[in-house]
Amino acid sequence: MILTVIALLLAAGGLAWAAERVGGAAAPRWVSLVAFVLGLAWVAGEYLGGADAGLYAAQTLPWIPRFGINVILELDGLSLLMVALTMFLGVVAVVSSWDEIENGHGFFQFNILWVMAGVVGVFTAMDLFLFFFFWEVMLIPMYFLIAIWGHENKGYASMKFFLFTQVSGLLMLLAILALVFFAHAASAEISFAYADLKRLAGDIPSDVRAWLMLGFFIAFATKLPAVPLHTWLPDAHTQAPTAGSVILAGILLKTGAYGIIRFAVPLFPEASQDFAWWGMVLGAASVLYGGVMAFSQSDFKRLVAYSSIAHMGFILLGVYAFNVQGMQGAVMTMIAHGFSTAALFMMAGALQHRLHTREMADMGGLWTRAPRMGVLTMFFVVASVGMPGLGNFVGEFLALLGAFRANVWLAVAATFGIVVAAVYGLYLLQRSFQGAPMPSAEAMTDFGFREMSVMALMALGLVWLGVYPQPVLDLSAATIATLGVLP
Amino acid sequence: MESLWLVPAFPLAGFLILFLSEGRLPDRVVAGIGAGSVGLAALVALLVGQAFVESGQTAYSQVLWTWMAVGDFAPAITLRLDALSLVMIGVITGVGFLIHVYATGYMWKDEQEPKGYSRFFAYMNLFVFAMLMLVLGDDLLVLFLGWEGVGLCSYLLIGFYHKDSANGLAARKAFVVTRVGDTALALGLFLLFWELGTLQVQAALDQVAAGALDQGTITLICLLLLGGAVGKSAQLPLQTWLPDAMAGPTPVSALIHAATMVTAGVYLIARMQGLYLASADAQHAVAVVGLLTLLVSAFTALAQRDIKRILAYSTMSQIGYMFMALGVGAWSAAIFHLMTHAFFKALLFLSAGSVILALHHEQDIFRMGGLRKKLPVPFFCMAIGSGALVALPFVTAGFFSKDAILLTAFETSGWLYWGGGVLAAGVTALYTTRMMVITFFGETKTEPHDTTHAKFARVNMWLPLLVLCALSIGGGWLGIGVLDDLLGPLRAVSHASPQALATMIVPLLGIVLGVLVFSGRVDASRFVESRLGDWLRRFFHSGWGFDGLYDRVIVRPFVALAQANQRDAVDFVYKVVVGLTRAFHYMAALTQTGRLRWYAANMAIGLIALLLIAAGWL
Repeated sequence: MILTVIALLLAAGGLAWAAERVGGAAAPRWVSLVAFVLGLAWVAGEYLGGADAGLYAAQTLPWIPRFGINVILELDGLSLLMVALTMFLGVVAVVSSWDEIENGHGFFQFNILWVMAGVVGVFTAMDLFLFFFFWEVMLIPMYFLIAIWGHENKGYASMKFFLFTQVSGLLMLLAILALVFFAHAASAEISFAYADLKRLAGDIPSDVRAWLMLGFFIAFATKLPAVPLHTWLPDAHTQAPTAGSVILAGILLKTGAYGIIRFAVPLFPEASQDFAWWGMVLGAASVLYGGVMAFSQSDFKRLVAYSSIAHMGFILLGVYAFNVQGMQGAVMTMIAHGFSTAALFMMAGALQHRLHTREMADMGGLWTRAPRMGVLTMFFVVASVGMPGLGNFVGEFLALLGAFRANVWLAVAATFGIVVAAVYGLYLLQRSFQGAPMPSAEAMTDFGFREMSVMALMALGLVWLGVYPQPVLDLSAATIATLGVLP
Repeated sequence: MESLWLVPAFPLAGFLILFLSEGRLPDRVVAGIGAGSVGLAALVALLVGQAFVESGQTAYSQVLWTWMAVGDFAPAITLRLDALSLVMIGVITGVGFLIHVYATGYMWKDEQEPKGYSRFFAYMNLFVFAMLMLVLGDDLLVLFLGWEGVGLCSYLLIGFYHKDSANGLAARKAFVVTRVGDTALALGLFLLFWELGTLQVQAALDQVAAGALDQGTITLICLLLLGGAVGKSAQLPLQTWLPDAMAGPTPVSALIHAATMVTAGVYLIARMQGLYLASADAQHAVAVVGLLTLLVSAFTALAQRDIKRILAYSTMSQIGYMFMALGVGAWSAAIFHLMTHAFFKALLFLSAGSVILALHHEQDIFRMGGLRKKLPVPFFCMAIGSGALVALPFVTAGFFSKDAILLTAFETSGWLYWGGGVLAAGVTALYTTRMMVITFFGETKTEPHDTTHAKFARVNMWLPLLVLCALSIGGGWLGIGVLDDLLGPLRAVSHASPQALATMIVPLLGIVLGVLVFSGRVDASRFVESRLGDWLRRFFHSGWGFDGLYDRVIVRPFVALAQANQRDAVDFVYKVVVGLTRAFHYMAALTQTGRLRWYAANMAIGLIALLLIAAGWL
């Protein structure tokens, strides 16, 4: 069933492209919207159907048996959460760019659907060759989204995004192949299957394992991104069209986090333990550096982009704390950040659409003309500064709690990140919506039903995650237990 | 008692209705919901409190649900009613209700934000909800929820008049400075959890009493919690945000920045009493923070011109007394003073609000003057509030609580704390007298509105004042009668000793001195105009230079650092890689000239070079 869903997303892409010729500009986005809503319904169905041995859905097909390569797709608790987030943000991406795109409507939706198909594959593939395949599938359409529908500096940004991802992807490919070869050398078994490699990786010499782990880690840390591999992100986010930013921040960054949790750590638990201190240092550095950088920006979208780097730092801290609180904090942060940042990027897109600028110096006093947008910006800023009662708090508090046990001083440093978050978050709100109304405020029209409906869903999602996160925590707890890396 | 959850639920419901209606409800309905929800909460609190006292239990817990369960970490959303939280919810809902009623008049057809009526009450109700969660939370994480929640509402309400960016700046300052304290508090929670495996208050305190922690750890946790407390309660060294917070509408200053939120730090330390009792060093630190703050801010208040800033510094100073009380072991006296202070400081702020409203938002006391006859009700109320603030013996509530603090300090900790407190009490009398004399006596400098028809003459604005007047006078007896039973005895205080007499007389001397100097009967201009006097005035006016210090040491370096690196130095590394790649590319391209001679020469040179290398290698 999982493969069918991926195939249907891909097919919907083709359909959307074709639909433009038949139904005009509006048809592709409806195709896209329906596809993601159906996808969401499917995930909900699998969840309600219950798990069988920890799996909500699973599928295995032979692909290249000679090299031990098979199509193995599994939907366990963590995957289910991530796929649900993917489908939901698909809806958000389509709605947020509803009337933003001016040309190539069909191809635009095609690319969105193909990115998301790749992402679903990444979150469910349990064969490393297949995983790498999907990893590359999601790259190309994203490149097109930025390069074709991006803003003034799209060529530079899209190329930078492509090169960073491609070079780090190459490292991962090398690491995957080397892992299989060394596993083959140690056991005479050849397999790309995750379960097999997890079992066999222990037989590889430990210095080799350390290098292999690093190959995976660098690829995932670039995607996450962690300081100092982050510089593609501000450019890509700022230049991407709204839907692109929503997908990029909401989902693509999480594939990096997912990769660390699913592959880099469980495949090489000892090497990762040895690396844990570095992982946490990079996490704390990302929190603080991302925060200070966010504060220094004058571009609304760039500020939000840098704030993502800070938030992703909490994920590294949590994962490399090697305890259940830290790990759960990382997973919660992935989901909550998906909501809060997607909403802020949607807001950035809506402002640019109305004011034709992203510079906060040209904004100010927008609250008067657009109170709904003001309230929502306030809500999501407050969520992302970690207000208890909203999802981000649960994630960041748990990550820091876990980190505190592993390394007190790094946790202390990162905790000061929440002060920095308040500094840049409130600065953003103040510069754009408060203060004396600028002449530009005249051009503001407030959100209508379409925007309000998705915004309300995201806001409700954050409240739910913040007040009663247990269903989500239970889902990820089941997966975390099977990873076998925590004491 | 099963209806305890309704106490926070009513204000939350009020917030949700006002928030989700997006300002479409008529103002009268908004007023009804805004004040009514807090009124209902007060009513339920009264009934629950009565049932609690009659039942004779020491504590009652109501588990709502498990917030999150991750490994051993499983904080639950649990409400706990005991003597301390009962007093607190009484103050919050009771004084909160009076201030809400007053605000229905104060914010009515507001000049600056005529459409903000609903938004105002939404934030206020959310604040009351968060504050109730703070004091009712049985688990420190629930307390933290309320703690951050009140900080948020404080931010929103300070910046309520959002079109003026100075207000936004003040709001941000308040949020960020208190967040520095919150960071310490969060670290304290981390440490507490990993040491004891729980954040549930009673379970943690029981373990501490059983000796589960060593001395150093207890002290460290206490100091981290104290860090959170000084941020929220505007004590040294995190006090700088409170005077600026006066940018909010006056009912906000009364409710949040005088009566309730700023006392959260006092509540936190009182709640964790068991922990502080186990660490003499930490308790000592609390007392020192209190003593320094009460002295510093009393002198600062002496040099302010803005009536709300005078009251703000006075609030800091009074909370300093509470901290000192906690530090010297006068736990119930601290809570007693918290209660009486809530009464008289709310009264002072609200009556100051009426004056400000009558004078077209004039806040400078030197532009007031002679208002005694023109604004009799605010004058009367402010006089009573001032009497309680300076602790006029036996007739005001403030006297009983301050007396209990100072005399306990004398008994347990000697001359220093007592002397500092008494000195500050004298200064308190001096600045209060200055404020009263300059505002209400002398010649009129700004004419008030037509006072008989103005909105502050309506019943919803003067009735709460009268109730607060009654509480500021009679609240002391309430403390002795009720708090004694609930919180344990306020120390037996004899008024016959010399130190007790001194404690009573010093404020009176302050008043006399104030009247003489500020009504001009004694000419002090030679001192004021001397170089020392001028320096002192500016030094006190600036709040002892803390703002300038923090600006130079923290704010400006941070901003400079951020701006210097706006273009992200890390990206430079990649730019160099790109530049090198480009450079090689161009160098290679340069060789493609299309000239045959050039290619032939190149080939020849290359061949010779290769041969030479080969020869050398062989």
